[in-house]
Amino acid sequence: MREPIPQSPLHAFGLASQARAVDEGCGVWANEIALLGYISLRGNSADPAFVNKVTSVTGVPLPVEPCSFATSGGIKVLWLSPDEWIIVCGGHRLSDILGGLRSGLEGIRSQIADNSGGYTQVLLKGRNALDVLQHASVYDFASLAPGRVVGTTFGKSSVYAHRMDEGFCLLVRRSFADYIWRYLARAAAPYGLGIAALEATGHAGHGVAA
Amino acid sequence: MFVLFCPHCREKREEEEFGYGGEAFRVRPVAPETADDETWGDYLFMRKNPKGWHWELWTHTTGCRKFFVVKRNTATNAIAGSWTLAEGRNVYDAEGGAG
Repeated sequence: MREPIPQSPLHAFGLASQARAVDEGCGVWANEIALLGYISLRGNSADPAFVNKVTSVTGVPLPVEPCSFATSGGIKVLWLSPDEWIIVCGGHRLSDILGGLRSGLEGIRSQIADNSGGYTQVLLKGRNALDVLQHASVYDFASLAPGRVVGTTFGKSSVYAHRMDEGFCLLVRRSFADYIWRYLARAAAPYGLGIAALEATGHAGHGVAA
Repeated sequence: MFVLFCPHCREKREEEEFGYGGEAFRVRPVAPETADDETWGDYLFMRKNPKGWHWELWTHTTGCRKFFVVKRNTATNAIAGSWTLAEGRNVYDAEGGAG
């Protein structure tokens, strides 16, 4: 039997083969940050045992402040609601973080789910990136402060968005990824859309395949 | 269109991000199997539907996906405030449960 091959939700667009260095020729640059590990975590943020254990396993201080996120060592933890977070990591770190959380949180009221197949991320930058988001969403992205993550509308769908690399990072559900990418490409067309080459930066799993 | 404050995200957001949850603080009959038809029918179908101040549930669909309560004037769309369910219950009770 053949081994299953992980395929990103946007693989059909062939983005990797179109990627090139960012220049002034396009107003909007975007690409998918594909095939990362996503762990949905639920628990009580008022329980120090829970918070300390998660912090020690991930190496990232668990963000308990509403609409904030923290990142460290290539791992990113996003606050989604008062009792829910999503941990984004490179595929190679997934199993040891999952294992660490499952053994560490034994006996502590919590839920850990491997959601790696369920999400992807889209990087959006360039001088007109903000215009594209304003076409697509009701949120005032100009006022989005660094270190903040917001869940808001995107067309008829929704995304979690935060600032990254002088641009924005959109956390997208797999089932809506196709719709969101097409919406984004259509909205960006008047400004010129380029597919940005992803460089390894400090951020969670930039360019790290599973 | 109006702007609601989400007590979980601690931010004001556009109405489009939210879903409506109907009248808040409705009490389900403790024993539905023994409740008479009128009591059960009232619980299922009857709403206050006031013109004026109304306590209602909203859910932050695209954000934290939590329910919370809003006191909104149905005639003017003025909003007196929004609270988590527990905090809102205290305010609601302090007002004598009035709409």
